[in-house]
Amino acid sequence: MFIRTVAEDTSLDAFREEIRSFCETELPAEVRRKQSAGQHLEREEYDDWLKRLGAKGWLTGKWPAEHGGHGWSPEQHLIFSEELGRAGAPPIVPFGAVMAGPVIYTFGSEAQKQQHLPGIMKNDVWWCQGYSEPGAGSDLANLKTKAVRDGDDYIVNGQKIWTSQAHWADWIFCLVRTNSDGKKQQGISFLLIDMKTPGIEVRPIISIALGHHLNEVFFTDVRVPASNLIGEEGNGWTYAKFLLANERVGNVDIAKFEHYLDELRKLTANTHEGGRPLSEDPSFKRRIAELEVNLATVKALMADQLAATREHGGAPTMMGAAALKLRGTELQQSIMQANVDVLARYGLVYQTDALHAGWNGEAIGPEATAGLMYEHLYRRAATIYGGSSEIQKNIIAKGALGL
Amino acid sequence: MPGFDSDERKLLDESLQSFLTDTYDFEAFKRHMRTEDGPGFSTQAWSQYAEQGWLGVALPEYAGGIGGGMTELAIVLAAAGRHLALEPFIGTLVTGAMAIEKAGTAGQQAILADVAGGTKMLALCHAEPQAGYARDYVATIARKDGDAYVLDGEKSFTLHAHAADVLVVSARVGDASGPAQLFLVPRDASGATLNVAPALDGRQGATVTLNGIQVGSDARLGDNDDDRLDLISDIIDLGVLGSCAEAVGAMAAVTDICVDYLKTREQFGQPLSKFQVLQHRLVDMSVSTEEARASVHAALQSVDDKRPGAKTAIWHAKVQTCRSARFVGAQGVQLHGGMGMTDELVVGHYYKRLAQLEAMFGDAEWYLGQLSMA
Ligand SMILES: Cc1cc2nc3c(=O)[nH]c(=O)nc-3n(C[C@H](O)[C@H](O)[C@H](O)COP(=O)(O)OP(=O)(O)OC[C@H]3O[C@@H](n4cnc5c(N)ncnc54)[C@H](O)[C@@H]3O)c2cc1C
Repeated sequence: MFIRTVAEDTSLDAFREEIRSFCETELPAEVRRKQSAGQHLEREEYDDWLKRLGAKGWLTGKWPAEHGGHGWSPEQHLIFSEELGRAGAPPIVPFGAVMAGPVIYTFGSEAQKQQHLPGIMKNDVWWCQGYSEPGAGSDLANLKTKAVRDGDDYIVNGQKIWTSQAHWADWIFCLVRTNSDGKKQQGISFLLIDMKTPGIEVRPIISIALGHHLNEVFFTDVRVPASNLIGEEGNGWTYAKFLLANERVGNVDIAKFEHYLDELRKLTANTHEGGRPLSEDPSFKRRIAELEVNLATVKALMADQLAATREHGGAPTMMGAAALKLRGTELQQSIMQANVDVLARYGLVYQTDALHAGWNGEAIGPEATAGLMYEHLYRRAATIYGGSSEIQKNIIAKGALGL
Repeated sequence: MPGFDSDERKLLDESLQSFLTDTYDFEAFKRHMRTEDGPGFSTQAWSQYAEQGWLGVALPEYAGGIGGGMTELAIVLAAAGRHLALEPFIGTLVTGAMAIEKAGTAGQQAILADVAGGTKMLALCHAEPQAGYARDYVATIARKDGDAYVLDGEKSFTLHAHAADVLVVSARVGDASGPAQLFLVPRDASGATLNVAPALDGRQGATVTLNGIQVGSDARLGDNDDDRLDLISDIIDLGVLGSCAEAVGAMAAVTDICVDYLKTREQFGQPLSKFQVLQHRLVDMSVSTEEARASVHAALQSVDDKRPGAKTAIWHAKVQTCRSARFVGAQGVQLHGGMGMTDELVVGHYYKRLAQLEAMFGDAEWYLGQLSMA
């Protein structure tokens, strides 16, 4: 209990100031405008911003210095997230920097590190995650996508589903089955696949938020060089779990929480009830205070997991990540629900056309309404993706409590 | 008043359910909702409801209705909720028709026959941008001009206002301190500007800007100058109860859908329904739905029996229904995993409908606040 020491470090003020002024000067005006209007960004707009962060090495600031990171302390990482959130900057896309990168630098070959890490750090290459399948969601180890060795290649056949941003990605990291005998977990391997390889087809899935973010990815006789295998054949489950622990910490995106709490404060100040602003309503004040307390707790849990990541060589503990993901995603949904509870006073309008720049219709309610509604609807999935809340509880029950 | 006995209520429910099961499946729902340039619902279905007599269940017999009470109307609304029917039930049959029935002159009540016949739709436009959920905030002004009134103001987004033939609009007569009254305004009156938009649940509605709309003195609902805020509040309470009944129908459907899904979806080598935490979740959804149903039923009885505590009973039912709807709707998505997040599956549409109904006329927090101050 209370063991971890936090070095008193006054230089963090300067660090915060550096991030803040960077956001002020470098965030492109059009991106800033779209963000505050709650409009969708194009891939190029994300890319522009992420490349600017990449040039500073900030997408991968918490990576160890030996792999090209800045070796940020937990406190630095949190400051970075807070400032991005307060600036209303676009969220960091996690598939490369949070997920693929640490697996590659921890378990990959020298050649793989040289091939992939720079592209991730600079955001020159976009990744997506090929884990889930129609029959393998919570029961991920049940996956059936097959990779059969053929000379220097693997031939991959099968289907992935719920693949976020596959339509934007250059590469996909995939869990594939290389052996069907014995325990399910033992026949799994971790493959990196270039999305331009012949035989890959991406089909969109439209979500309840009425946008395209999710996809199905089909593999038909896709030829992948065996040199794209991470670590050892059949050892993929170990790397998969290492990645999931990092993913779950990444699911708790403090920058987003800060941003949407700010939006909530703005909404309550500009929305009236009986002629008076909601920001004067004691029940809303209390609700915001409650969300702030929860955010402080989640940040404290986060700091512990970031520290554990540094100590344990690249990934937090499975239990700690599960607890953080569980509470963090619940908080995220509560923040969005509070925003929507304010917007409901304008009739719960959802003008999806307003999500796209160039729409010249007349928005009903606050400018950011459609974007907030989109985020609210989409984040219903926060307690599903990365392993559902029920699965996080199972992990804690088994792993931490020995049940 | 004749009222319905239990057998008649059962018959009403069964005929609605079988009609909607046959004609209003998920594909029909999506088609009606998304037909380009359509009103976001089925006008044909509305005519069929009229033919079956369902639009007139709670309307007086002199208007071609059957003279039932709120309970009978709630049976219609619960069926609509269960099948995600998109048509303008609440605005037309509850808030619109009941305002006219309770406050209208004999001449004005003639429109109720068209409502029962399915040829006229109504919408109550009361809430305003600065009002939030407060019911007593009216800034729209009806200026007297000889025998006519001139209306100026702005009304918040109202579901189905774009399809209503007649808008029932609240306004203060004279100036900001004048009595609040209701006016019957044709939707296409000159000076009325509608901004039509989709709501979260995919239905459509509109904000209404009133810019110097001229109406005759016969457009003023009723024949006296008294302030109508109490009446408006009573009408809204009926709307609240109607929206709760619709939500109960939708929740019952969500629970059934989840039970079926978890019995068929297998993970870890067995149906998900075998996991005890999920069984308990389904139980909580079912019990939550029952709590809402029972509290709505209690409120319906006190309204139909004209008991003094009816208003409180409605507000209790509203708080309970909001809580249940939030829980059941969210669990519907959660228990379907990724599938629950797709537009292709019906359960997400129930989530959105329940969120819409929860917010209609105020959410649980608002009613709790009011109850705590009463
Ligand atoms: C928006 C979104 C983005 C995603 N992005 C990606 C991505 O980029 N790449 C990728 O590979 N995957 C992605 N996923 C997939 C995600 O990881 C899965 O949806 C998730 O693991 C759940 O699997 P499932 O959808 O098959 O649900 P199921 O496993 O079928 O679960 C259905 C329900 O049953 C519960 N349940 C299942 N097993 C148990 C149990 N043993 N005990 C108690 N409850 C249980 C679940 O918690 C859930 O509530 C994404 C999903 C969503 C919704």
